[in-house]
Amino acid sequence: MSDNGLPLSGVAISVRSGRGFLNLRLNPHHGQAVETAERVLGQPIPQAANTFTNGGHEVYWLGPDEWLIANVAERAAALGSELAEALGGFHAAVNDVSGGNVELLVRGAEARAVLAKGCALDLHPREFAPGQCAQTGLGRAAVLLAAVDPSSYAIVVRRSFSDYVHRWLENAARPHRARFSAP
Amino acid sequence: MNTAPRRWRTSTVLLIECPWCGPRAETEFSYGGEAGIERPADPYALSDAEWADYLFFRRNPRGAHRELWNHAQGCRRWFGVERDTVSYRIEKSYRLSGAGSARPAAAHIEASEEKRR
Amino acid sequence: MAAAQPNRLPQGGRIDRSRPLAFSFDGRACEGFAGDTLASALMAGGVSLVGRSFKLRRPRGIVGSGAEEPNAIMQIGEGAAAQPNLQATQVELREGLKARSTRGWPGVRFDIGAVNNLFGRLLGAGFYYKTFMWPRSWWKHYEHAIRKSAGFGQAPDGPDPDRYEHMNAHCDVLVAGGGPAGLMAALTAAKSGARVILADEQNEFGGSLLASDASIDGVPAAEWIASVVAELRGLEDCVLLPSSTVFGYHDHNFLTIAERCPVRPGGQAGAGVRERLWRVRARQVVLAQGSLERPLAFCNNDRPGVMLASAVSTYVERYAVLPGRRAVVFTNNDSAYRTAISLSGAGAEVAAIVDSRPGGAGELGVRAQALGIPVLAGHVVSEVAGRSRVTGAGIARWSGDSWSNVRSTIRMDCDLVAVSGGWSPVVHLHSQAGGRLAWDESRLCFLPAEARQAHVSAGAGNGKWSLGECLAEGLHAGAAAVSKLGLKPAGVMTPHTAAGAGENPIEPLWRVPAARDADRCSRQFIDFQNDTTVADIRLAAREGYRNVEHVKRYTALGFGTDQGKLGNINGMAVLADILGKPIPEVGTTTFRPAYTPVSFGVCAGESVGDLYDPVRTTAIHEWHEAAGAPMETVGQWRRPWYFPRDGEDLHAAVARECLAVRKSLGVMDASTLGKIDACGPDVVEFLERIYTHNVGRMKVGRCAYGVIPGEDGMLMDDGVMARTGEQRFYLTTTTGGAAAVLDWMEKWLQTEWPELEVYLTSLTDHYSTIAAAGPNSRSLLERLGCDIPLDKESFPFMTTKPAVLAGIPVTLFRVSFSGELAFEINIDSNNALAMWRKIMEAGAEFDVTPYGTEAMHVLRAEKGFIIAGQDTDGSVTPVDLGMNWLLSREKDFLGKRSLQRPDCLREDRKQWVGLLSQDGRTVLLEGTQLIGDTGKPAAMCGHVTSSYFSACLGHPIALALVAGGRQRKGETIHAALSGRDPLPVRIVSPVFYDPRGMRQHV
Ligand SMILES: [Zn+2]
Repeated sequence: MSDNGLPLSGVAISVRSGRGFLNLRLNPHHGQAVETAERVLGQPIPQAANTFTNGGHEVYWLGPDEWLIANVAERAAALGSELAEALGGFHAAVNDVSGGNVELLVRGAEARAVLAKGCALDLHPREFAPGQCAQTGLGRAAVLLAAVDPSSYAIVVRRSFSDYVHRWLENAARPHRARFSAP
Repeated sequence: MNTAPRRWRTSTVLLIECPWCGPRAETEFSYGGEAGIERPADPYALSDAEWADYLFFRRNPRGAHRELWNHAQGCRRWFGVERDTVSYRIEKSYRLSGAGSARPAAAHIEASEEKRR
Repeated sequence: MAAAQPNRLPQGGRIDRSRPLAFSFDGRACEGFAGDTLASALMAGGVSLVGRSFKLRRPRGIVGSGAEEPNAIMQIGEGAAAQPNLQATQVELREGLKARSTRGWPGVRFDIGAVNNLFGRLLGAGFYYKTFMWPRSWWKHYEHAIRKSAGFGQAPDGPDPDRYEHMNAHCDVLVAGGGPAGLMAALTAAKSGARVILADEQNEFGGSLLASDASIDGVPAAEWIASVVAELRGLEDCVLLPSSTVFGYHDHNFLTIAERCPVRPGGQAGAGVRERLWRVRARQVVLAQGSLERPLAFCNNDRPGVMLASAVSTYVERYAVLPGRRAVVFTNNDSAYRTAISLSGAGAEVAAIVDSRPGGAGELGVRAQALGIPVLAGHVVSEVAGRSRVTGAGIARWSGDSWSNVRSTIRMDCDLVAVSGGWSPVVHLHSQAGGRLAWDESRLCFLPAEARQAHVSAGAGNGKWSLGECLAEGLHAGAAAVSKLGLKPAGVMTPHTAAGAGENPIEPLWRVPAARDADRCSRQFIDFQNDTTVADIRLAAREGYRNVEHVKRYTALGFGTDQGKLGNINGMAVLADILGKPIPEVGTTTFRPAYTPVSFGVCAGESVGDLYDPVRTTAIHEWHEAAGAPMETVGQWRRPWYFPRDGEDLHAAVARECLAVRKSLGVMDASTLGKIDACGPDVVEFLERIYTHNVGRMKVGRCAYGVIPGEDGMLMDDGVMARTGEQRFYLTTTTGGAAAVLDWMEKWLQTEWPELEVYLTSLTDHYSTIAAAGPNSRSLLERLGCDIPLDKESFPFMTTKPAVLAGIPVTLFRVSFSGELAFEINIDSNNALAMWRKIMEAGAEFDVTPYGTEAMHVLRAEKGFIIAGQDTDGSVTPVDLGMNWLLSREKDFLGKRSLQRPDCLREDRKQWVGLLSQDGRTVLLEGTQLIGDTGKPAAMCGHVTSSYFSACLGHPIALALVAGGRQRKGETIHAALSGRDPLPVRIVSPVFYDPRGMRQHV
């Protein structure tokens, strides 16, 4: 074990519990709407494709007019209402999707190799650096994959697929001295 | 006699450039058929034959083909691809023209693409 | 040891003599060393017979030393872990390995099928083609017997215990082949900073150098290889893959590699990864797969002991195995002289080098003669003697005319004939990638010509035979690849090698004239694996085949594992010779993946068993499982099918569940329904175009049943929608249609109507849906504690309201898919299981009954509600379904114009109706064909789409599509039953229960 609790080799997989999620649709070119949302969120909304910002929340780019806001579960509903209210005058959609998503963490020196078994993206740190995210395939499921740091990845997956993705990861990690645990 | 071997298509893993997300494996996309089939403004002004032509008939060319793809496992955007149906080469991917106000403006897109590269 | 390995040389080779390995072949105990292949170990042990040929049952021995081996096809391992049809030359020896010959049931030594040999003439080319295809019904009998006696290996007898993996990889430069050219290309590219993958099918890098006495940069080749590999290993972003065959070159520079993973010593089956499939996207590719030696066709050239000269060298130099004691070397080029020199150095006697060229070889000829090896220039081997092993060779003077008769004037005793007919670059991947091939008249081979993808060929694979050329070209290819990527090539020096020996050019020779009679070419084999002979190709030509593609199919040339490795060029040359055409004019065969056989296991990877396909489960799934509900697969979802109590079967459970809903209270997990939030200023206009009904007339809080036709007017999906705000709707779709409907809507929004401001968000996973149905459903909600009034006036049918139920925020919908009073509870999935448990608790006094998909189907069928995808199949319009009331006259919608097409207006279109079995008992099979009368042949007029036993009604009910059905109510038609007389059935309304729809309104 290293200082940060990560295995020096191998990989650790855990479910990140207590997470809340909001889905935001907004015209990114409507300056006022964007400003309003950013003021409520207290952090910028990423405009660059396939990146995320990390402030009080993680705000993931999902599409040119769509974002996923991840934060603490208890705050999601209130934040959602606040956001919806503030954006009331604009063409925008705010949906609480806390029940619809599960977040997994894959950490460790071999995390990248484990993910590469089922993800066709180039995960080389030069190509997929911390701060980048991508909606892509893992195994046979669609996921949102985010590079947290050079050896940690967050995976947000639709709830109904989460058991499959979890089992897929455990299976893929098995030859890598894997640790499966809660956070 | 042509000594060039013919292509035997076994691949399903084209590399398709999503105009927003960049090059991704074909498995992330769904195919939407020929591009540029415009829905008639007044369907009832068309004869049955003309309507059937709009509904069912496609060019199916040998060579350059403009077609629609959807980045289904990614950003969910529909976009255009110009693909050669013989070589499978993709000449270009492009955002659909005539995008309305809900679509991002070109200047913004270029900035984000620059950042990605 | 000497007894166990009589052909093992006392020293030399790249084997580890300190690590003896025991294995078995056809049940006999054998021994080899670490570093052996199964083939080299068998040969060391003196095994010369490894199988029988496919068609003619002739005894066969090992011919090659690599992917080209046609005969030594083995079954490896036993039971569930068995691997059929592996080439012994490609199997690394390991302790305890069990090998069986697959070609030659019931055994290679005793062979009932050898009698076929006597009928060889009858079994000529096209024999299978012509004889066994007629009468067609007999084929299965022929096939069974032939397949079994030919031996194709046996499938494993249980699930494979081993693990297979996929690995996605990306690189700047993929180098296929780790011989001298490949090593130089990889080194140059990697040192230039490129991400490199180097793959080679051998367990060690070095390729031809592993069996060579050459020195590079003043050190033996082996040392040079070791230093290059060490340097590559030290470079970041360089992946080295030994034992890995690049077998497929697909579009857009996507390549597939099969890696055979090392078995850990003492490893049990299933302990580790057996094979790994690399799926590589490469920006540039260097193809350096070397070349394959060609055999020559002469009489009985398939006898065990006739081998490729290069393979003989490999066995001697790399594996320290002597394939024979007294050899004849037969060649049309200089390279086989090295084999003669190797054999001589290893202590074998070389009876003669038989060289078809009048002038013999260059410097190598001088070296051979200096060693005392006799050289017979201008001669050919015309036949060999011996049956299960070569005993001698007949040698004749070569006139240059391959269709003349010759007389073998010289007979030489020998137990080995080493043959070289020249070399063919391995152009398979180049060709798979769409590259052209060009015939080279001086090298007598096809060379890679223009490429269509980003690849370049180097080394022997590009027709460069000398070591110096290979090293230089590899370096150049690596540098060129990185230059194309915008990297500056690293300054790598071309290694120094001794100047190549002066060689005499190859001369064309493909087949040798037959001794005595020109027609005896039926014993001159072109493709050993498929028993294709010169005679077969002659026959094909005589029967009018002119292109090698056709001849290939007629004769099976190049089929099986061979894929054109050994026989391809020879077959083409013989055909060209017969037709009197230049070789390029008869074409070349198309190379396609896979280059070598690939196991099913590695194709499947991890997607087996539980991980075969994603399994989607609802938030309440664990409760269903704990309740012992059998699951039904709906799309990728697992849904509870029914909830048996005390040993009930499906029918009993479903009957009970249905009655519970009709009489008291049932609950169902309907969470798999697709759910979409649609909002924006233009949402009404948008939905008006998608749905057929008048969406704009819906008031906030109202629900409506809606159908979505395709633009062709056919029903695509259906579901309840609710208006949750002035500019907001909540749409539901079928379980299977969720993704398709969202895609459909987005496609129109994005491509056709970008001016409409509407945002769509999938809420399928966020919300769970619990349907509470039955006369007591309102009481249940009251019992749970609800913050809004639920009576009929405050909360009427087909409306929706947010509420707090049992202290949890929910959205209630007064909709019904059973025809009973019902509420659908939409709830954050995080709270769904808790709510379900509360319902089961609070509902106890109403005997709350969980019901599954089967009861749901019966209940809706009793009410005549469709299931899209079951009662419809893409050819059914809303009109056919009797849904005219849903079609707005006031607006256009997608598909509306199509409903006016003449075909959609036909009166005799199949229309959806109910059916009652006249006997009151028979539950029709879904899919049953319906016929108007019972005459023969009877005209079909429709089919059953849904069919159940209705416990509530006490008789079977069915739904069907019947031509002109709506006008035929009351008419009796017939259901065609298998093995029984047609059953009379009466056409009725599809609504069997509560036709006036009173119960859901209470
Ligand atoms: Zn995209």
